[in-house]
Amino acid sequence: MTAYDDSTAPDGPAAGPADYLGFEGLFSSLEARFGAEDRSGQWSDGEFSSWALVSFKHQFSTCDPYRAFCVARGVTPESVASWEDVPAVPAAAFKYFDFLSAEGRQAEAVFQTSGTTRGGAVRGRHLVPSLDLYRASLTPPLRAALLPDVEQIRMVSLIPDPEEVPDSSLSFMVGEAVSRFATQMDWLVGSDGRWGARSSEMLDSVRSAGEPVLVLGTALSFLHVMERGRDGLAGLPDGSRIMETGGFKGVRREVPRDQLYAAITEHTGVPPSRIVNEYGMTELLSQLWEPVLAEGLDAVGVHVPAPWLRVRALDATTLAPMPEGDDGILCFFDLANLGSVSHVLTEDVGSVMEGRVRLRGRAPGAESRGCSRAMDDLMSAVDDR
Amino acid sequence: MTGRTEVTAKQLEAHIAELRATRDSLVRRPVEEIVEVLGSVGERFLEDADPIRKRALAALPEEARLSSAMAAEVLDSMARDWSRNQLKRTVRAEFGDPAALDGFQSVQGRSVAGMGPRLCVQVVSGSVPGVGVNALIRSLLVKSPTLLKPGFGDTLLPKLFVEALAEVDSDLTDSVAIVEWRGGSEILERIALSEAEVAVVYGSDETVAALRALAPPTTRVLGYHHRVAACVIGRDLETAEIESVSDQVARAIAMFEQRGCVCPHVVYVEDPADGGTGLGVSAEKFAESLARSLRALEEVLPAIPLEVEEGGSLQQLRGAAEMHAASGEGSLHHGGAQSSWTVIGEGSTQLGPPTAYRGVRVRRMADIGELGRALGPLSSHLQTIGHAGLGDRLESVALMLGRLGASRIVPIQDMSFPPPWWLHDGRGPLRDLVRWTEIENSSQLELNR
Repeated sequence: MTAYDDSTAPDGPAAGPADYLGFEGLFSSLEARFGAEDRSGQWSDGEFSSWALVSFKHQFSTCDPYRAFCVARGVTPESVASWEDVPAVPAAAFKYFDFLSAEGRQAEAVFQTSGTTRGGAVRGRHLVPSLDLYRASLTPPLRAALLPDVEQIRMVSLIPDPEEVPDSSLSFMVGEAVSRFATQMDWLVGSDGRWGARSSEMLDSVRSAGEPVLVLGTALSFLHVMERGRDGLAGLPDGSRIMETGGFKGVRREVPRDQLYAAITEHTGVPPSRIVNEYGMTELLSQLWEPVLAEGLDAVGVHVPAPWLRVRALDATTLAPMPEGDDGILCFFDLANLGSVSHVLTEDVGSVMEGRVRLRGRAPGAESRGCSRAMDDLMSAVDDR
Repeated sequence: MTGRTEVTAKQLEAHIAELRATRDSLVRRPVEEIVEVLGSVGERFLEDADPIRKRALAALPEEARLSSAMAAEVLDSMARDWSRNQLKRTVRAEFGDPAALDGFQSVQGRSVAGMGPRLCVQVVSGSVPGVGVNALIRSLLVKSPTLLKPGFGDTLLPKLFVEALAEVDSDLTDSVAIVEWRGGSEILERIALSEAEVAVVYGSDETVAALRALAPPTTRVLGYHHRVAACVIGRDLETAEIESVSDQVARAIAMFEQRGCVCPHVVYVEDPADGGTGLGVSAEKFAESLARSLRALEEVLPAIPLEVEEGGSLQQLRGAAEMHAASGEGSLHHGGAQSSWTVIGEGSTQLGPPTAYRGVRVRRMADIGELGRALGPLSSHLQTIGHAGLGDRLESVALMLGRLGASRIVPIQDMSFPPPWWLHDGRGPLRDLVRWTEIENSSQLELNR
């Protein structure tokens, strides 16, 4: 049985799995489909939709809390006409429920959200029953965003080694990038966020080799490393590129993106056209990438979802879809989440145009909620014990 | 910082020098005279025909992001405490004899005089409009030249207050400077903190910690950090009282759109038989009644529409509660897409995202004794506990709560607006600012007695 057909007609007949294939069949077919993805491929609406509906059927039948949620809303696989009608779980629910859609199989990995600076607060967790599927989903978009022009590259990372932080999906992604595309890898930062004893030496060797590198890090890690001055990432070889991800959640000091990138450019010599932003979250196994390396500076501020990830901006109160280009809260349907739950409603705000996302920063006044908000973080922290 | 002019380091230093220069004349004025002036200014905010009140009412809703009705309610209740009478009572409640701030007085055989800070820096958070004026009044009452950094959302009222003050007392006005800078501007914060004798900081734990770290050891930093409020409904509540008490709880939740530290986010209901017969009110019944009260309150004190980000958080709160309810844990009541109030009823302890925008959890407990365990981990952040139905157990429960860390045990209807002499986080609002000077008797005299 063919799990999908290769039709690429934008609105062609529904391609995708003809019916529910069981856990093994479903996961291996989707894995094969991800692997067959070329660098910039778009999935037809028909193919996406048919996979999405089969995913829903799978998740509805194997994940108890999700089924209860759907049933309470009066929604079943038989009642939904399109993937947009599939109930979306709030991202926060990953903190309180284990969503495992795996026919009784165990999770191969459990990734945790980073929590807040207050520590203690409840952390979300994402149970992943098939790391093979996850791996297959990671590589094509990452390669298209970071390595559109080369097959392999030397890498250095400000994100800790996945062996040290097995519960971080970000570290896992970096580890996967290394195993697929790195000619050589240096991990500069330990799981505690500290600069490694040999890190400065490693960077000296990068500089003296003169070969372009890919530096992977979070916004905060770049700030920290730049504070090291010449001992940091100063003077990277020509042709180097940077992947930056993550914001400044819970940090008193926030640096606007253009300021951060200007500082990175000044410090490392890597121009803004070679600094690529990744947008992802633990609750979604797929990522969105800013395609500046492939498309140039016009792509700044635009995030392209993986081909099997669809994004909608919804009205924050009615949850009705916003018109193209208007801000709303972002709702994702991620086929890579096959083993948990695919339709996820987040708190992030942005707009969607032709499937691409523009994220919006924090609104002025958002800080004025202060007192009560943090109080509840404390409450959640207590509940967690 | 949109729409705000940030002070420069030079300007800040100049303001501070000017403030310091006013102290000599300020300390010579009798407290009663200062009370008279501040009180007469404060009373203008309550007089319907007064242009100051009119301007406050016109601009407050937008600045504080409150509906007009809510803004008026907040202004009326805050300004009630800015009157001559209330300020007189405050000084008396704090010092007995107001002359304690004017010179040496004999107190229990000791000769002492209260000294206000040479310079008081007030950094206010802005969550609740009016707190900036309270802060200003407090430090002026103890005769301290005051540098006020108002919070985002609470700049209007202090500015109007100082403007009205200038009409009647230019000397006192010279002892106040309102300056703005972006929180986290370390250079400015260092200047202000190193010049202050006392710095009062209202804000998140992070803000208080950050400013403490910047202050020299000679500056006393009084932090009003995050605080937690809750309601406790004891089993002595009569069924007939449910509605009126839930109306009071609804008001306490909704006031300031739940941005204040006195706003409850959780209601503990003592329900020994889990809604069975006999003692106590069913927690779920109370949750339902609270939902009705919040719905009705919207007619009287409407909320303003949420920002997209806020709507997004509300979706997370409701969605997670919906998921719990679907799994048979607790209940969810809310006002739908057009209103933000949300009541989450809990059969047992249930986890969920933070409540906000008139959101609350109602938790059942079989016995009030469980409060210690429930609130214990929050000890260092406990503040206001609103109560009903405790009967003759009030004092023993209050003692337990006080030992945990709560500083204010109050009937629910009074939660939102403590009197100006309240023990703010357990400390006297004026006494906390004051340093004492004593003329000691000769120790020989003491021995010979």
